[in-house]
Amino acid sequence: MAATASADTGAGVRADRRPGVRFGRPTALGAAAYVVLAAVAAAILVPIVYAVLGGFKSNGELVSDPISIIPKVWVFSNYTDVLFGVNAATFWRQAFNSLVIAAIAVTVTVGFASLAAFVFARIAFRGREAVFTLFVFGLLFPSAVAILPLYILVRNLGLAGSPVGVALPQAAFALPLTIIILRPFFRSIPAELEDAARIDGCGPFGFFWRVLLPLSRPALATVSVLAIVTTWNAFLLPLILLNGADQWTLPLGAMNFSTEYASDHGKVLAYTVIAIIPAVVFYFFAERQIVGGLTAGAVKG
Amino acid sequence: MGSRRRIATLVATASIVFAACSGGTPATTAPSTAAAPSTTAASVAPPSAGAKPVTVEWWHITTGEPGKSDFQAIADAYTAAHPNVKINITVLENEAFKTKLATSIQSGQIPDLFHSWGGGIMAAQADAGALKDITADIASWKDTINAGALSIYAYKGVQYGVPWDMGMIGVWYNKKLFSQAGISGPPATWDDFLADVGKLKAAGITPLAIAGKDKWPSMHLWTYLVLRLGGGNALAQMVQTGNWNTDACTKAGAQVQALNNLQPYQPGYAGADYNTEAAAVGNGKAAMEVMGQWAPSVEKDQSANKTGLGDDLGWFPFPTVAGGAGAPTDGVGGGNGIAVGKNASPEAIDFLKFFMSVDNQNKLNSDNVGLSTVNGTEATVKDPNLKAVLAGRGAATFMQLYLDQATSPAMGSAINDATIALFLGKSDPAKVCQAITDAAATQ
Amino acid sequence: MTAIAAPSRTGAGRSRTWLTIAAFLLPALLLYLVFVIAPIVQAAYYSLYKWNGLTPLTDFIGLKNYQVALSSDAFTTAVGNNLLIIVLSLALQIPFSLALAVMLNRRFRGRALFRLLFFLPYVLSEAITGIVFTLMLQPGSLVDGALGRIGLGGLVQDWLGDSSIVMLTLFVIISWKYFGFHMIIMLAGLQGIPRELEEAARIDGADRRQAFRYVTLPLLGPTIRVSVFLSIIGALQLFDMVWVMTAGGPVNASSTMAIAMFKAGFKNTQMGYGSALAVILFLFGLVVALAYQRFVLRRDVDGAMTTGAG
Repeated sequence: MAATASADTGAGVRADRRPGVRFGRPTALGAAAYVVLAAVAAAILVPIVYAVLGGFKSNGELVSDPISIIPKVWVFSNYTDVLFGVNAATFWRQAFNSLVIAAIAVTVTVGFASLAAFVFARIAFRGREAVFTLFVFGLLFPSAVAILPLYILVRNLGLAGSPVGVALPQAAFALPLTIIILRPFFRSIPAELEDAARIDGCGPFGFFWRVLLPLSRPALATVSVLAIVTTWNAFLLPLILLNGADQWTLPLGAMNFSTEYASDHGKVLAYTVIAIIPAVVFYFFAERQIVGGLTAGAVKG
Repeated sequence: MGSRRRIATLVATASIVFAACSGGTPATTAPSTAAAPSTTAASVAPPSAGAKPVTVEWWHITTGEPGKSDFQAIADAYTAAHPNVKINITVLENEAFKTKLATSIQSGQIPDLFHSWGGGIMAAQADAGALKDITADIASWKDTINAGALSIYAYKGVQYGVPWDMGMIGVWYNKKLFSQAGISGPPATWDDFLADVGKLKAAGITPLAIAGKDKWPSMHLWTYLVLRLGGGNALAQMVQTGNWNTDACTKAGAQVQALNNLQPYQPGYAGADYNTEAAAVGNGKAAMEVMGQWAPSVEKDQSANKTGLGDDLGWFPFPTVAGGAGAPTDGVGGGNGIAVGKNASPEAIDFLKFFMSVDNQNKLNSDNVGLSTVNGTEATVKDPNLKAVLAGRGAATFMQLYLDQATSPAMGSAINDATIALFLGKSDPAKVCQAITDAAATQ
Repeated sequence: MTAIAAPSRTGAGRSRTWLTIAAFLLPALLLYLVFVIAPIVQAAYYSLYKWNGLTPLTDFIGLKNYQVALSSDAFTTAVGNNLLIIVLSLALQIPFSLALAVMLNRRFRGRALFRLLFFLPYVLSEAITGIVFTLMLQPGSLVDGALGRIGLGGLVQDWLGDSSIVMLTLFVIISWKYFGFHMIIMLAGLQGIPRELEEAARIDGADRRQAFRYVTLPLLGPTIRVSVFLSIIGALQLFDMVWVMTAGGPVNASSTMAIAMFKAGFKNTQMGYGSALAVILFLFGLVVALAYQRFVLRRDVDGAMTTGAG
């Protein structure tokens, strides 16, 4: 049901008499809407603020006065212990593990997926859609299903406990979404460029490497960012494949820390806050990519 | 440039596929995580300096101090006396250890000496052919070890490991809170116990701390009730046959319900884990917990000021139950030991003997690393509460290994689940016994 | 831009094309087959055995694991919990996300800030979110304290320890984490709808609600369905947050299929049984995917997920 009447009100100016909406100029929302939005924003901020400030409180204060915002006594040892002190070695080791796994997984994901997406986007062959569907299939069921045999497999490959053993399966599971996002981008590169490349003596790989990829930087950035976020926060796969504090990634380390120091709430909060700083910082820089990539993948297919 | 990369990728992925196609059989592409099996030296006696070099792989889970350093010191002392023997120690945390061991056993690279709790898991390892029969090897020195404890590391008549620590679960209590509630001394009978719970409640004190999320602390309490009501032989029968639809089981459940009705547990008990339970006791918020010999150190560690209860902490053996068939000296307990991998060299077993020597065990005792099972080391236990635990262990006519260790992990899980449901008021005695019986039937 | 047909005229060219296709496609395909497809097939295979993952695979028991699972209280509770989350998500979380998307679709001061903030929980790890909320929900902690301060102390519950409300507590936290994600998807969908359409309806005499209901909402259909689909798949996979917060407790009250599977395989060393649970989980996902494919994708104008045309 698509109405097609134009909204021209003469004089060539599109104006809308509804309150609160005008083109090109930000205006005020209804007060009720602002209240709702503010409430939701508060709901998001409260746990984060609680965690950040809770890390500065002593356990006694957390227990006796849980809803005070500013600590009465600023305890710095929780944060300094994790960053520089007693727990620092563990923490930085785990951060390093997360980084290594993310680096490997993202490189493999984006590398393999762009190669595959190139074929799906630009070369027709019999069975292409069937193979593509096979990849899409991977998006359609819970990845948790594969966990038990995956554990046996990685163990048999001798990769249990190694970053590669975690990164490869994660990359494999990230392939479907990455391919789905890249395919339309790769399709949109004009054929003329490919013809020109061929005339210049470039084979398909030369075109891929020298023309297509550089032109697809935004899309590659998007899928990289998405892959980084997914890998960094992954929990179940690392849980079954990594043993011991010096192999764990940050989410696992945080969980272990929270049980080991179960009664030391301030310390646990400090640890979790530090553990999410990379994600938050990364988010503020890469928000556009994350959002853009998700909507492209989800909405436009 | 391009084709080389393509081929490299193809080869890499192909090799992964070929390795993967070997399915459930151990792969030989695995880089070993343990050292190669130690070579066997010709002589059985401690080799002299000219003998072939031997490496002993030892995995343990004593991550805390001073235990970790003590173990290292013992290894160093042995190496000093036997220069051709190198002892590689790997220290792992509990869960990490279990997984890594399973991995290694599956791939055939079994450490020479590794931590063990005996019981069902050790039995499974024996069945998988991972353990060495050391019955003959230790025949000359096995009498130095407490017989009851030693038996937990035997399976079907074959000895597979030795225990270096064995304790008994009892009730740890806060003496100050008891006197605040007007209780003069620890309860000897279960009825007294319930009465004391009432007195504590009346005084506004939380009587008992349990851990709903971790489940096993309350499982120990229930096990004791079954033991007190049915007696050692009956309990052993239940574990053996898997038939838990017995009088003792249902009566024990009824007693748990009687306890529940007094609402004795700490706030948030349903979701609490063990560390939180320990903190409740260590901070003086709960008066009692039913726990093993490590309780004081965990309470202290988890308490707000890291001081624990100090002299206010006391211990008493689990109360007797009127009309029960069990002896007051029966106990539920467990500890730590070392199992011997099937490829272990005579040197490894010789080191084990050294580890179990009176001097080394005395050191572990005085450092509170464990309660040694070696006869003659009792004097070095200084802490009065641990002395009481030791006395209880010594007097025990029957010792039941923790149920979730004595049986398989799946059974242990089932028992934990069934009993916690009872404590949380979600089940009834008959259902609990039936559920455990059902679980045993599927083993 | 449509796909380029590459087969060339000469035979050598054609095989070079196949070589190209193979070289480009094989890395991803092999990785995917080995680590995604093969494990699922293996899960089905292991599920027919009684196996502890340690000893050789010898104890064939056919479909017995499935019988046990379907008659097991613990597992049926888990399935029920997954379904509960699905129902609650569809009934509450998606409409809520939609409402927020509609609000954020207008241009107003501070819109970008709200958008940034609402999406933030999505990038936080589920495990860490779970840890922070667990601490907040402890008896006497932030939530209880806040309720007490505003005089609603009577509402205080054992949020994570009471079996009758633990799933609801978890649902609220899951919503906290993911509503921004769904909101962003809806927002993108809304922004893809030309404003003229709604204006035209308004000019024709519809009020705001009718314009929304009869013009915007149907056009938003594909987007909503994507959201619904992702929500269902996410609800089926539920593990990280629940594991950290309650480990499925108290006594399986908050268990999910993935948790039951994890416990069976890694805590109880029942690899065969765990694999059967995995297969059941897979079948749920498959049913949802097929239903989505048949009833939804065919209808949608885009339907771009699986068809390659255009």
